[in-house]
Amino acid sequence: MGRMKFLCDAERCIECNGCATACKSEHEVPWGVNRRRVVTINDGVPGERSISVACMHCADAPCMAVCPTDCFYQTEEGVVLHDKDMCIGCGYCFFACPFGAPQFPNGPAAFGARGKMDKCTFCAGGPEADGSDEEFAKYGRNRLSEGKLPACAEMCATKALLAGDADVISDIYRQRVLRRGKGTDVWGWSTAYGKPQPAVAKANQEGKK
Amino acid sequence: MSIHSLSCGVALLAALVTLPAAAEQAVQAQQQRQQTQPLNNAPVWREVRSEQAGFTSLPAPEAGVLIQSEGMTWRAWRNGPVTLYGGLALLVVAAAIVLFYLRRGPQKLRGPPSGNKVARFTRFERIAHWGTAISFVVLALSGLAMLFGKHVLTPVLGHWLASLLIVLGKNLHNIVGPIFLAFLLVMIWHFARDNIWEACDALWIRKGGGIASGEHVPAGRFNFGEKAWFWIGVTLLGLIATASGLVLDFPNFGQTRALLQTVNLIHGIAALALTALSFTHIYMGTLGVEGALDSMRTGEVDDVWAKEHHELWYNQVKAGKTGQDAQRR
Repeated sequence: MGRMKFLCDAERCIECNGCATACKSEHEVPWGVNRRRVVTINDGVPGERSISVACMHCADAPCMAVCPTDCFYQTEEGVVLHDKDMCIGCGYCFFACPFGAPQFPNGPAAFGARGKMDKCTFCAGGPEADGSDEEFAKYGRNRLSEGKLPACAEMCATKALLAGDADVISDIYRQRVLRRGKGTDVWGWSTAYGKPQPAVAKANQEGKK
Repeated sequence: MSIHSLSCGVALLAALVTLPAAAEQAVQAQQQRQQTQPLNNAPVWREVRSEQAGFTSLPAPEAGVLIQSEGMTWRAWRNGPVTLYGGLALLVVAAAIVLFYLRRGPQKLRGPPSGNKVARFTRFERIAHWGTAISFVVLALSGLAMLFGKHVLTPVLGHWLASLLIVLGKNLHNIVGPIFLAFLLVMIWHFARDNIWEACDALWIRKGGGIASGEHVPAGRFNFGEKAWFWIGVTLLGLIATASGLVLDFPNFGQTRALLQTVNLIHGIAALALTALSFTHIYMGTLGVEGALDSMRTGEVDDVWAKEHHELWYNQVKAGKTGQDAQRR
């Protein structure tokens, strides 16, 4: 079983927000919650770059570490999921997450009444039975259990956003870097997964030659 | 209101200091790099970690920030020193009190009570005290559950029951917090007068309150130990904990994550210190000193108790000098 990761290739992202739209549509995400978003750096300046970001399903997930009720769990594939029934809406996961992934249906409400936290599930649902109505109502569709990859990456028109087994997607990315002939960073990976992965580090080195 | 303006002020200050100059530089660096090395995006990647907001079409607070690194620092502090030393502080103070009680037992009256009652706390004072006390206990227990529940409650009760209790605790905490603040302000405003420094406090400090020696040390309405609790515990730590609590409880004034993280640490540290100190006050007011609990329950004390614990106050009451303190209103 592989290790699931997201990889966003900033050289390819065209800021179409197709990923964010696919996600909202696939999971019928509540109003006000955006599990995925696209951010453009240096908007309007030559060399601007856009990046799609959601939960990165970190190896040592900060949300998981600070949750007072320990409602998070990590699947064998490295996907970070949570049990909404145990969520107290304290917002600590939102304080801790570097990527701004945890979202709350009520937003920053008075008396801290944020509601149950919602975030990207890597299209892997929650603790309820795979594909059940309860699971869909709380977490959205469980595509992984159907053998499909996350809807955002599947929908990406330029294949900037890759989702899937870490070895496979970093291999694709390495080939792109070689073809372009210039090195670049895998956005967010050192924050989410610790040290750079050997395959990518090698690709970066080869790219620099 | 003041918290709102304070948090806005802090956010504005941070924005003013970091935004314009740095953003300008980053844009220039990127433009130059595009001409010299077209596919080298190092300036962009540096900017990603700088926490400046990029453009995003989603209208959520801080949605334009790609990586907010301080959350990792907050996590390290909260899960590290705050949990460890906060927990140790509570255990050490509790253990010290238990040891003291086992060695010395409760402080009993030296002579038999006379049966003559002296009014010590008015009805108003008792309502203010118990309102503060009960809301404090609710806040302390629910607060402790949020910090230590995962390590203490969950292994014993299991995930389901523990999380149910913590859900209840979190909601109580957020609602009772402002009520505690209201009582706290009444307490501080009303009792401040009787807690100002008096000449007899110097003697009390020199003799360590007679706690070790068991010697009689004259005191006014409140002795120096009680005054220390009033100023350091109730007033200083109480106000820090409630002010920071308000910033966390009402995040709907545009507080940034960086502010919430910092304030959460201040809140945790102040509240843990206050809780540890409160153990001593609760001990002295219940098991530690015979008659102390009755004074706050009924508002009256035996005149023998008054003479032994607060001799100067007793003399003043006798002389009818402190009408406010001696009579029920």
